[in-house]
Amino acid sequence: MDDTDGDRTGRSPFGEETTPAIRRIEDASAPESTVPDVEALTGDPQTLEPAIQGVWVIQSAISAAVLGIIAAVIFSVVSPGGAWVGGVVFAVAAGLGIVFSLLKYRIWMYQVRDDSLYLRRGVLTRVNTVAPYVRIQHVDTRRGPVERVFGLATTVVYTAGSRGADVSIPGLTPERADDLQTRLKHLAIAAEGDDAV
Amino acid sequence: MKLDPLSIPVRAGESVVRLAWLLVFVLVGSPALGGASGIGVAVVGWFVIALAYQLIYYQRFEYDLSEDTLDIASGVVSRRNREIPVGRVQNVDISRNVVQRALGVAQINLETAGGSSTEASLRYVSLEEAKRLQSEIGRLKRGAVSARTADPEPERELFAVTRKELVLLGIIGIDLRLLSFVTVLLPVISPSLRERFADPLVGLAVTAPLAAVAVVGVAALISGAIALTSYYGFRLARRNDELLYERGLLQRFSGTIPLEKVQTLTISENFLARRLGYASLAVETAGYAPSDEGSESAIPLADRGRVVDLARSIEAFDGIEFERPPKRARERYAVRYSVVAALAVGAAFAADRYTGLTFAWYVALALLPLALVGAHLKWLHLGYDIQSDYVVLREGFWTRTTTVVPYYRVQTVLDSQTVFQRRRGLASLVVDTAGSSGLTNRQPRALDIDAERAADLRETVADRLQTAVQRRRSDRRRERLRSIEAELDEVPIDPA
Repeated sequence: MDDTDGDRTGRSPFGEETTPAIRRIEDASAPESTVPDVEALTGDPQTLEPAIQGVWVIQSAISAAVLGIIAAVIFSVVSPGGAWVGGVVFAVAAGLGIVFSLLKYRIWMYQVRDDSLYLRRGVLTRVNTVAPYVRIQHVDTRRGPVERVFGLATTVVYTAGSRGADVSIPGLTPERADDLQTRLKHLAIAAEGDDAV
Repeated sequence: MKLDPLSIPVRAGESVVRLAWLLVFVLVGSPALGGASGIGVAVVGWFVIALAYQLIYYQRFEYDLSEDTLDIASGVVSRRNREIPVGRVQNVDISRNVVQRALGVAQINLETAGGSSTEASLRYVSLEEAKRLQSEIGRLKRGAVSARTADPEPERELFAVTRKELVLLGIIGIDLRLLSFVTVLLPVISPSLRERFADPLVGLAVTAPLAAVAVVGVAALISGAIALTSYYGFRLARRNDELLYERGLLQRFSGTIPLEKVQTLTISENFLARRLGYASLAVETAGYAPSDEGSESAIPLADRGRVVDLARSIEAFDGIEFERPPKRARERYAVRYSVVAALAVGAAFAADRYTGLTFAWYVALALLPLALVGAHLKWLHLGYDIQSDYVVLREGFWTRTTTVVPYYRVQTVLDSQTVFQRRRGLASLVVDTAGSSGLTNRQPRALDIDAERAADLRETVADRLQTAVQRRRSDRRRERLRSIEAELDEVPIDPA
């Protein structure tokens, strides 16, 4: 059933052996169409890499700094208070940011289930999302600048839903992100859904 | 195929109208430039330029409807060739404004699910050509789904708006939230009117809110008038697996809604409509851009029973029996609204004390009992019904919307809990579809249901989606086998 160029190289109908222009980089001996069993791809609930807390802390520190600068500018003009108010605002916002980052990490959980991806997240508003594999349009892995410093990546799952890229899993090592992306891809193929739009 | 030659002057004329705004600004700014002759020269000059450009545009625009794609080659400076698979087309809409109607041309818009805007629009073709494209695309699409039902069926009228319904629509179309705002504001202001009208400065401060009220009233009238003109002569018909609609007084719209692509149905009734036993029905497909109206109105206004019947002929949901959220949800709204009411009272009191104006601030105290009534009404109109093939969700007091979501159309399911919801053990269930997020711009959701029930329902909806997908798949397989068998029967078996 395999009809790709990669498998035909050995028994070429031409006199000399031809080399296909496009070859697969992976091990060509593995038959292409085998999607691993669904059981082999699914697993227990997973947490994120602890380093993600660092990313979140830095991201919240940046917004706290912006907030602090704005407060400092405002209060250096307004008579009660001075530029020091900005420092206080920064300290409070950054402190809250740290607490939230730690809590967020504790709560964050994802699970690759038999027929859907399950996510639990959110500090103030707790959200549990079920994204069925039949509805996956495509899966991305992306790495922002702060994430790259910490050696982390984010896997984003797209559905045709109106919430767009609502299903994204941050705080994965690049290997884990790639692995998750491949798993989800296989699971989406195994589910052979259509887009229903 | 080319566009209609008349599209050249029409398009050029449109660009002149667009320029007119710019001209008004320039000429008002610097009268030295102007004079009637100056304007005349600018308009004529621009029209000539536009005419030349549109001539090239016309010459370089070509479209062709083949068996399975619509090919469009366009562009003056940068060329663009597109192939739109007919099976992917969601809606085919025709619109004609007054000028276009006089000239007998029409604009045709094609929507597909991808992208954030209209996929292709042909400006302009003759009306006959537009109708031909519309029915031809419909025919080809049916052919793509199954060859055996490709014969066109006669159009069957489902609904036509009567004059009475249209007048009612104009009245009900007025945004009720504006009226409620006015009724709250008036009693607070009126006592100070009598005393303070002598002083001209304070008089202005008092008349300004009154002017605002007048503005609101005019706005309400305009919204009624808009509802009236845009749904004038509305009719809905069904042909094969498509709904066809027509509407509009000044600008005439007609379009198709493929039933195969329907995402959700929304029945909405505002406060007045509910009193009179009327409702409207909207059908949502995935094609439209978020900036658009979002969904197509299948029925602007009709008797509620009729609306429900029609909705059930599109999606066969059972009789709806709503389950309400637990009573503690109502307490939540009571607390929330009371806090808002208390703040309003505080603000009125402060304004009375610290500004020159005398407000009848104590009238605002009436808001406190109103908050409790409001909380009860909000709770009363919430509901959800989990059926075997559909989930039905209801929300809203001023405008009550009932959304029917087939499990097959669900994209993701989630339940969320804010801090306040967690304290009361409540959660909201959100069922996301590929629809363009609806008339009210909110997703179908069951607000403030029991947290454990929400978690259960989340899994139930996800499971039923899987079942629905599997059933669809086996149906399609069976259909395919049957059509292959039918073909085999027709072909005589070769004896050799």
